[in-house]
Amino acid sequence: MSEPVTVKGRGVVGGCAEGEALVADAMLSFWGEVDPVQGTVIAVGHPLEGCCLRGRVLVIRSTKGSSATPMVLGLAKLEGNAPVAFVNLEVDSLAALGCIVNSIPMITDLERSPFEFIRTGDRVRVDADRGIVEVTARG
Amino acid sequence: MELTAEQQSVLDGSRGPYLAKCMRWLVEWGGVMGAGRLIPVTNTHALFPVANVMARGASRHTLEQQAADLREACSHATAPGCVCTVHTLFLTMDELDTPENDPEQVRAQREINALAAEAGFLNTFTCAPYLVGNVPLKGEICAWTESSAVVYANSILGARTTRHGTESAMAASLLGLVPEFGVLLDEHRKGTLRIEVSADLDSPTDWGALGYFAGNRAGLGIPVFHGVRRPSQDEAKQLCAALATSGGVSMCHIAGVTPEAPTLEAAFHGDVPAEYLSFTDETLRGMYRALRNPTGEEIDTVILGCPHASIHEIAEIAALLKGRRIAAHVRLWVDAARATRASADAMGYTAIIEAAGGRILCDTCPTNMRMPARRIVTPGFKQAHYARGMIGAEVIVAETRPCIEAAVAGRWLGDE
Repeated sequence: MSEPVTVKGRGVVGGCAEGEALVADAMLSFWGEVDPVQGTVIAVGHPLEGCCLRGRVLVIRSTKGSSATPMVLGLAKLEGNAPVAFVNLEVDSLAALGCIVNSIPMITDLERSPFEFIRTGDRVRVDADRGIVEVTARG
Repeated sequence: MELTAEQQSVLDGSRGPYLAKCMRWLVEWGGVMGAGRLIPVTNTHALFPVANVMARGASRHTLEQQAADLREACSHATAPGCVCTVHTLFLTMDELDTPENDPEQVRAQREINALAAEAGFLNTFTCAPYLVGNVPLKGEICAWTESSAVVYANSILGARTTRHGTESAMAASLLGLVPEFGVLLDEHRKGTLRIEVSADLDSPTDWGALGYFAGNRAGLGIPVFHGVRRPSQDEAKQLCAALATSGGVSMCHIAGVTPEAPTLEAAFHGDVPAEYLSFTDETLRGMYRALRNPTGEEIDTVILGCPHASIHEIAEIAALLKGRRIAAHVRLWVDAARATRASADAMGYTAIIEAAGGRILCDTCPTNMRMPARRIVTPGFKQAHYARGMIGAEVIVAETRPCIEAAVAGRWLGDE
């Protein structure tokens, strides 16, 4: 197991969570591109197509698309399929709202681009209260 | 964020726990997004569909919890003086007793609709409120859900709304307030990406192609289009819908069209970037190719009216279908607001479309209903984009006329 890397950022929605990273330098809409019951990305041709969001730390550029994103995130959470935290490059108002109403920690403005040092499968701890992500590379 | 004494007291529970929660959502959301205060809102477009088929297979607990939240929200009166229209549902109120619909969910939706009407919501059930009388004025502060309508309100009407979700639009409708951030403020309405358009845009679908291209490049930014003629309302609708599909765009500027952007300079607040992206005829053709993945010619579904059709579009569809018959194995659905269908009924268009074997679908759309289909032809870039994943269908995006020809022939005949 390698040493964890800690990077500072700005906590957007408070809270702490830990999970395996799911990473794509892309945008994602929850309505229309995520099935809240399967917990999977259903957008054809999306880099995360077929991936399951359940328990993951979702590292993406930002959300996009539908205004039903907070609602679908809420349905995914009720089904136990929501990501445990968001690490975003930019803050879309809909991701922020979705994280607030569903109590999901969110962090942005990391000192380094998350796509440079977080890979899918890495263990990530998000402390949005202190504005810190801690990444342990997968074995 | 700075709150008035009255706002603070609502937050502290003076108007009950639900409005306190609404206030907390707005305050936290505003804080996160950089708002300094809450400001009055006079126009909202809210969203309260029970999940139903959209979350097919969800547990009873999930469905009941989501419906209970909506029921609670709609049990409070809308703010005095605020016009509150309503977004689409995940079912049509025309046809509730179907095998797909969950009877408990149907009952909940009926109850929520009645509560909402009592609370002061106008149950328009449309993704295009600007087609059925909700036309905010330039500078009017709004709180709209529906990503495509947000872009239309900001860019075509010059009204001001950030991208709202269910909870924030509901809170704004009940409290009459929104946090002041983003495109509500002049300084955040400045263009961020210049797009020079040399392609010939001949149809609403061509304008959708431009939006699909630009949304992806602009991300959360504000694209500025230069070199285009004035779009029709139907063309503007397609542009705005596609922008908010491939991107997270709140608004665009069309130089010479957007009320606050008479010129390219005005769109960039005087600071026109030298760099730009080009949208050529070749780029245009590439956008069509991106949303065509058929493995065969035979089609089973034609979806028109995404976003919901205008009366003008329905007239055009009726003219193309008059005296003809859609192939027996093809469904042709024109999605529209109930108010628009009432006009179509009066004009005789509904009868023409039905005589040809099609129907006008109200309150929702096939993607929301996750209607099974194998191969879909549609003029809407937004519908084509989402139908692939939501419905699992192959798609062909095309202008309206070839869509109708495909419906009649039962197979894709090409663009001509």
